[in-house]
Amino acid sequence: MKTPLPSMTRGDEFSEGASTWPSDVSRRRFLEIMAASLALGGAGACTRQPLEEIVPYVRQPEGLTLGRPLYFATAMELGGEGCGLLVRSDAGRPTKIEGNPEHPASLGGTNPQMQAALLTLYDPARSQTPLKAGVPSTWEDLLGALTRESARWALNKGAGLRLLTRRVGSPTLRAQIDQLLAKFPKARWHEHDPAFPRSPMPAELHLERARVIVSLDADIFGASALQPWRALSFARARQSEEEMPRLYVVESMPSLTGTMADHRRALRPADIVQFARQLVGTANGSPATDPWVAALVKDLQANKGRAVVVAGDFQPLAVHLAARAINEGLGNTGQTIVYPSAPAGRTADDLPSLCDAMKAGTVEALLIAGPNPVYDAPADLEFAAALATVPFTLHHGLYRDESARHCTWHLPESHFLEAWSDVTAYDGTPSIVQPLIAPLYPSKSLHELLAALFGDAVSSSYDLIHAAWAKRHAGEGFEPAWRRALHDGTWKSGEIPRAQPGPEPGVSVASSGAVSAVAAGALELIIRPDPFLLDGRFAENAWLQELPKPLTKMTWGNAVHLSPATAQRIGVVHGDLVELHHQNRVTEAPAWIHPGHADDCATIHLGYGRSSAGTVGTALGFDAFALQTSDRPWGGPGLEIRRTGRRHIFAVTQEHQSMEARDTARVEDIGHPAEEKEAPPSREETLYRNVKYTSPSWGMVIDLDSCIGCATCTIACQAENNIPVVGREQVMRGRVMHWIRVDSYADGAGERLRMLHQPVPCMHCENAPCEPVCPVGATVHDHEGLNVMVYNRCVGTRYCSNNCPYKVRRFNFLAFNDLETPQVAMMRNPEVTVRMRGVMEKCTYCVQRIRAVRIEADKESRAIRDGEVIPACAQACPTEAITFGDVLDPQSKVSALRQSPRHYALLAELNTRPRTTYLARRRNPHPDLG
Amino acid sequence: MFRTEVISFSPARMAQLFPQYSNTIARLAVPALVVSVAAAASAFHTIIFSSYATRTHAPVTQTVPFSHEHHVSGLGIDCRYCHTGVETSSFAGLPATETCMTCHSQVWRDAPVLQPVRDSWATGKPLRWNRVHDLPDYVYFDHSIHVKKGVACMECHGRVDQMPLMATQHTLYMRWCLDCHRSPEKHQGPQADVFVMRDDPGLSRKSALANRGETRGESLPLLEHGIQAIREKGARGTRLEDCSVCHR
Repeated sequence: MKTPLPSMTRGDEFSEGASTWPSDVSRRRFLEIMAASLALGGAGACTRQPLEEIVPYVRQPEGLTLGRPLYFATAMELGGEGCGLLVRSDAGRPTKIEGNPEHPASLGGTNPQMQAALLTLYDPARSQTPLKAGVPSTWEDLLGALTRESARWALNKGAGLRLLTRRVGSPTLRAQIDQLLAKFPKARWHEHDPAFPRSPMPAELHLERARVIVSLDADIFGASALQPWRALSFARARQSEEEMPRLYVVESMPSLTGTMADHRRALRPADIVQFARQLVGTANGSPATDPWVAALVKDLQANKGRAVVVAGDFQPLAVHLAARAINEGLGNTGQTIVYPSAPAGRTADDLPSLCDAMKAGTVEALLIAGPNPVYDAPADLEFAAALATVPFTLHHGLYRDESARHCTWHLPESHFLEAWSDVTAYDGTPSIVQPLIAPLYPSKSLHELLAALFGDAVSSSYDLIHAAWAKRHAGEGFEPAWRRALHDGTWKSGEIPRAQPGPEPGVSVASSGAVSAVAAGALELIIRPDPFLLDGRFAENAWLQELPKPLTKMTWGNAVHLSPATAQRIGVVHGDLVELHHQNRVTEAPAWIHPGHADDCATIHLGYGRSSAGTVGTALGFDAFALQTSDRPWGGPGLEIRRTGRRHIFAVTQEHQSMEARDTARVEDIGHPAEEKEAPPSREETLYRNVKYTSPSWGMVIDLDSCIGCATCTIACQAENNIPVVGREQVMRGRVMHWIRVDSYADGAGERLRMLHQPVPCMHCENAPCEPVCPVGATVHDHEGLNVMVYNRCVGTRYCSNNCPYKVRRFNFLAFNDLETPQVAMMRNPEVTVRMRGVMEKCTYCVQRIRAVRIEADKESRAIRDGEVIPACAQACPTEAITFGDVLDPQSKVSALRQSPRHYALLAELNTRPRTTYLARRRNPHPDLG
Repeated sequence: MFRTEVISFSPARMAQLFPQYSNTIARLAVPALVVSVAAAASAFHTIIFSSYATRTHAPVTQTVPFSHEHHVSGLGIDCRYCHTGVETSSFAGLPATETCMTCHSQVWRDAPVLQPVRDSWATGKPLRWNRVHDLPDYVYFDHSIHVKKGVACMECHGRVDQMPLMATQHTLYMRWCLDCHRSPEKHQGPQADVFVMRDDPGLSRKSALANRGETRGESLPLLEHGIQAIREKGARGTRLEDCSVCHR
């Protein structure tokens, strides 16, 4: 760790003596202070409301009624693929991101990165002006410099000009790059996307058709633009008990996919390659000695054409070839998995070739658009040093990051909610990326920057995208089609042809190169993108920083993950600061003992250790890129771990992950009915008032069988309900503010390890323990069954939180909400109160959404329809695991789920009668493995 | 003997500490204390409900001295011409400069008081009005549902048609809101009368129910239904009194 660890004993929260009472105080002094407090408090409370202004439009836009939100379809690009979104706009400000149900990659769901994109838009630390050598400049000055450069390129055909981008998902941007390279034929285009490396063998999965899924370290449900679609396909396939797919996962580091597995095996990377080859052998008829493999192969062969073996994007070609051999052999190809032929069009060069050229001195101008190679290039490339040799460098990005600081020029990039673009989904469906707000700062989109290189500095991103689609659109009626595409969020009539299934690979499994065997005792290093920050591109996003990472529940940092057995072998305990030595490179990292991690290997995550991320993400964690090399970017053998003798304190939100033999998160094995659990004694007698509710009476059911633990609900709730972040130190004090948390449990060991996720919002107990203890009646029930929290009554005794058995109440210990920054004020949901210091808060079942629907229903003199009220968590959930509705309406979906045999209430024995209840998780083990 | 006389302070010879009339004062102090506590309470009440503290009946200064009296009773412009959101949205809405200019590009084209409006139109910079009816930020009021339920504009805003300059008529305190939320039927009227400004009680709610044959508008059954429901459940403890109706 480069930075000193924040101390837990820092006493600067309150001034001296404010929280502890001096013991030698006299009675007279006490009375004086009390009287003064009363007088000051009384006088302080007598402020008059400040005068406010109303500022109407000069010309009110058509179709806009102030006070009523509008929704616009757009799309977000992640790793060169698009996911359709619907964004809410309140008075012209985007305030909430939802999935677009009509988009094939979203189907209504989102993922944490999509939800958090809103915060990035309004981040005050975003780059706000063009810079030349670190000094504020203007777009016109940059344009002048570009014009001089491009005049030179016109003469030498662009020799020495290099463009570096992330993976490009925009067809118009691809066309622009083609145009650039056609105009300057000697120029080169490089691509660098550490979070989404190109798979050695790209494949399109169709999980909805699969009954047996085998993942070879493929994080199918991990962060990507495909996450909502894949997770929903899997969750829907699990709905039917007979057709329920069985998921086998072989992986090193426990992933979201691994937690959903019916059978999971932890293997280190070298052994995954061996395992894949063994699998091919067994599938081809050689006898299996391992019953696990035998059962797996039996399952695969029994489901020919309805099984799929998936190799992870970070796995070597050998594993992909093995997976493909099995898929081809079983006839899965074309059914559950499609191997597309290489996409038509130009492919970009890689980053090492750019570095070689820079070191050779042949690069005269470098345009970095998107990636941050000074930070996120493998350490052996020494990108910063190579960059210094380039005469003309321009960085185009959202932040003045490490790379921006090493470039002569920096141009702020428009956020995707600020500028027009387009993007294609995994299946080729194009979407127009539609902005919801004019750029907040003098920023440009990459389309505009590239157009300026052709001498067109006046066209806006709208002109460019509109013109590109007009050109692409064959036939009549472009404008109606354009408007339709903007409305729907997909361009239905103008689909770009999908990739066709490609030929079989020319190399066979056997000839794919010998994999060097790794000695049993030696450690292997595994490098992966962070589950939320990815390669560090979201490091400045405080929502993602504070979102507890899956399974570990760690926030604001990263760690080196080791299995308990390996840690014991090398003498490392949880929280030890260790030195990682790999290929003559060293970094220091805190150790996390991770049950379920493979032995003899260690995983580290990218995205931390930033030196100039901004105000939030700088100097957190350690930089895993320091150990990355270009020949083995995802790790390899030869890791040495040395203890430093120092310790590290993690900021975690859940310290203990064993259920201690209770059944907080329940699991049922299909085919092995759980022994009849003794139902908790029904207690009708209670001291609580027995209220007869009338319809609607709200309730929520969370299906643990569908939940993949992605934490999208947490961050969607944060965005919808104006929930502040508290920072690393406050997380360590247990003051995290999330209204819905995802608890994780890990019980058992080895292949019997069970990892479970359980989202926990407020239970809205009918016998709510929080209510009778409130001295001021700030938390009470309403007639629709909600346990409401009345902020303006709350005096902050915290008795309610103390008495809550589910620990879902959150207290504003400090003024966590930023009331000063204008950008942050713009981001807030105007329908939800911004809470002050000293006020308790908790999940409201999104009462603002209930109210909005109730008012519409009342205006139409009708009852609220089932499914009309959707809380933010349920709307964002990619797997439709959260159902909300009227529990007294027998026709409602939530009532039907409450009749399920899997239905149970958390801590039912306390007789709190919670309105939020759960459906038990199901496991579908192979009969031979039990 | 002599010495004793000098140094002796026998109680019998000490002057009284309190004069005789102290007894009267002590007796008077008891009722005075009661009176002063009552006076303080009443003064406190008077102050917090005074128009100074509540800012009721106090016209708010505006950039343009817009007269509702002139536009409503003088010209007969409907509320909804400017407050377009009142039937559909939580916020009734303030007119865009464009709305002002629909008329004022033709009439009173050179009036000095309208200079800010013309400037706004020319420069594209919006007019800035001072808020008159301002609820605390933790209160969420929705105009559309009140209008739909037959609560007339003047129930809360008073006789706007008689106000040369806009001022609040009620405290907008929570207890004022609750007065109506506890017995809404007293403040509801037929839909057709919502935008009417008249003091005539004959047209207001009670007689509207009595003369239902003459009443226009389709909302009467809805209104009756609402009142019926309230009668059945009793005025208190209805959904309208839930905290979550206004606070979230």
